[in-house]
Amino acid sequence: MTALSFTLKSPLRQRLDASPLVPDRLLGKSPKEIATLDLQYGNRRIAAADLFDIAGDDAESVRISGSPKLDFAGRGMTRGSLIIDGDAGAYVGMHMKGGRLCVSGSAGLYAACELKGGIVEICGNAGDLLGSALPGNKKGMSEGVVIVRGDAGDRVGDHMRRGSILIEGNAGMYLGARMTAGTIAVRGRIGACAGYAMKRGTLLVYGSPVSIGATFNDCGLHTLGFLPLLLKGYQGLNTCFSETRACRSRVRRLVGDLSVQGKGEILLVA
Amino acid sequence: MLTKLAGASVYDPVQGWAGEIRDLYFRDGRVAADPGPDAAIDEVHDLSGHILMAGAIDIHSHIAGGNVNTARVLLPEQHRNSMARWLNPPGLTPSMGFAPSGPALRSPLAPAGLGRTAEWSSADIGHRYARMGYTTVVEPAVLPANALDAHLQMADIPIVDTAGLAILGSDDFLLGLLRGKAGQAQVNDYVAWTLRATRCLGLKVINAGGAAAFKWNVRQFDLDDVVPYYGVSSRQILQTLQRAVCELGIPHPVHVHCNNLGVPGNVETAVATMEAAQGLPMHLAHVQFYGYGKEGAKGFSSGAARLMEAFHRHPNITMDVGQVLFGQTVTVSGDVIAQYDRHGDASPGKWAVWEAECDGAGGVVPYRYRERSFVNTLQWAVGLEIFLLAEDPWRLFFTTDHPNGAPFTAYPELIRLLMDADYRASVMARLDQEALALTLLPHLRREFSLHDIAVMTRAAAARLLGLEDRGHLCPGAIADVAVYRPQADRRAMFADAAWVWKGGRLVVREGAVVDRPAGSALTIEPCYDRRIERDVKAYFDRFYSLSLDHFTVGGVAFEREDAERFRSIRAA
Repeated sequence: MTALSFTLKSPLRQRLDASPLVPDRLLGKSPKEIATLDLQYGNRRIAAADLFDIAGDDAESVRISGSPKLDFAGRGMTRGSLIIDGDAGAYVGMHMKGGRLCVSGSAGLYAACELKGGIVEICGNAGDLLGSALPGNKKGMSEGVVIVRGDAGDRVGDHMRRGSILIEGNAGMYLGARMTAGTIAVRGRIGACAGYAMKRGTLLVYGSPVSIGATFNDCGLHTLGFLPLLLKGYQGLNTCFSETRACRSRVRRLVGDLSVQGKGEILLVA
Repeated sequence: MLTKLAGASVYDPVQGWAGEIRDLYFRDGRVAADPGPDAAIDEVHDLSGHILMAGAIDIHSHIAGGNVNTARVLLPEQHRNSMARWLNPPGLTPSMGFAPSGPALRSPLAPAGLGRTAEWSSADIGHRYARMGYTTVVEPAVLPANALDAHLQMADIPIVDTAGLAILGSDDFLLGLLRGKAGQAQVNDYVAWTLRATRCLGLKVINAGGAAAFKWNVRQFDLDDVVPYYGVSSRQILQTLQRAVCELGIPHPVHVHCNNLGVPGNVETAVATMEAAQGLPMHLAHVQFYGYGKEGAKGFSSGAARLMEAFHRHPNITMDVGQVLFGQTVTVSGDVIAQYDRHGDASPGKWAVWEAECDGAGGVVPYRYRERSFVNTLQWAVGLEIFLLAEDPWRLFFTTDHPNGAPFTAYPELIRLLMDADYRASVMARLDQEALALTLLPHLRREFSLHDIAVMTRAAAARLLGLEDRGHLCPGAIADVAVYRPQADRRAMFADAAWVWKGGRLVVREGAVVDRPAGSALTIEPCYDRRIERDVKAYFDRFYSLSLDHFTVGGVAFEREDAERFRSIRAA
């Protein structure tokens, strides 16, 4: 059995809704059915075989060749594995409930938005609003793990409810804005307004310098016993947060956002 | 070009036509008299077996302005869900990534004809109104600070003619005049200047002084409560503005949103407001929200009988109903006290209130009216009671206070409820019986006739607004004509008109929009003493972030001359 792979015949000219190309929807379909699967391509519908060379037979393991116009890849998937070879467009991993999604390049806006479970790994950079809520919705990512090997854009974890976002590079402005709970760890630097209007949750930041808003209360330096336990939980994920050096550190704890009576925390690693 | 509409059954209350078979002629966008047997007729439409009325007029529907846009921004999922519904007809692979989920404003599938419009866009508003046979719609809450925005949006609404009512009563300038004991003449000048500057058709007063008082942490504001700092009562503000409208000779009486909206026992406020009118003309908006008593085990009951008894004693008062219909909607209002009060009921749970330039305020609270709810059932029943108890359809108007009671797209449902007592009874069977027992509704068997509908939505509405050129089919009237195919199901009949002409142009055929001419904005241009301009300019220069030139409305017509876009009803 080899992975079921969709290789683009030519670069995408329009945005493609790739949400039907997930293990859940492909399992049990014959090669002919898969070839005739119709996809939204710009303002028209097109058969999968017209865009992709399709090979392989294991629908539990799907590969799609990447493109910045490839939207909604892995939407709502609950099982199996999906690999995007190259970049992904917007909404990659939206509403995903389980399984493993890997983007070997960079991802666009709203990656892993309203994630409900599973693991999303982005090897390049992630765009704005990683793991956030869709516009108008009040609940962002609510379970699962997101790993970004590169940098993430602004408003990571907007309205985040639960789960973990691990960023090995830098993060933009408004990190964890309006968070209700959950954990975001950033190995690099972060932008301004981190934790804006956060109610609960943890932002763990390694990089410096950092400017934190006046509505966060500095609670001093601590050696938190729970921190090694938290980081131990990420051990199987092969991230820099499992290095011994990362676990053995003192943190400066800032609590807020006090403007919304928040009890969240920003932990700045000393 | 002479067009003949032959053989329809015509309802025109102004000419006393109640279903007679008649031929109607129009020439160059105006209704024409019978040109005689020898006239050369360019176009004949055989409408035998159909029902013909003038184009309908909606006197109170929030179709444009700051609140409406805030509501759109607050509820982006409306657009997302409608896109998903459009892209995912049954049988196709779901697309666009979005499964339709969550609440949606009531919306039938995409209209055929001139292509699809984004849901709840200005184009969509024009199309949907036209499909129901409406040709004139009044936006009843144009905050002067938002007037330019409101006019830009209205200019973007195709087909229907629009007009705005300018809000005064909580603005710092007026309250400052009243605090300084300014004379009535000065207030009159300010009102007249405001109507000219905002290019509106009439004056709206929303919970007079309430939005100003809200800023001093006032959360309940009655007719005789005093606005802190300014020392004037709500009653004084209301009466001063009402007098201004009367003395300026503006045809549409002051359009009043009373105090205590939605509060149990507020029927007394509505009655007190009628008394406060002192026999002068006054229009009370969406009175269903003021038809509440505080009897019964839950301290919330119907006050419709009390309200209508007072209404019948005050021939100077006109009212529109603001009927509630079940389903998801979003409430938008300049009454910031009422909106803030109900923010806890927001469904979905998000809301916004705002204040603009010391000019007024507003709030947006999404809400779902539920059939099983005691309160919502009572509201629904109170609205229908008001309709059915009214003795004079010329003084009571047909609205849902779109979108506060229900979106205007629910009008056909409301017409069916009014015209079909059996249907009403079948709906009542689904509702909260405890609430219905507190109302007279189960005993009211009255059914509205097509004539009554034509009065409420056409003839009387035009008369109330002072629009002499519409709402009837006399020679010289604008050729706004709606033709319906008679059906036992009145909802289906009024949902999709068979033909609609706007100014003599065919715009709807079999429920589909086939042409979309631009509409006009109707204004009134009252005269005033120019000295008020100097005072207002000095005030703007001192306190405002905008210059007066940015505040007044001009150049909103999009590819048309302003002279084409705006039509003063005085000049007409």
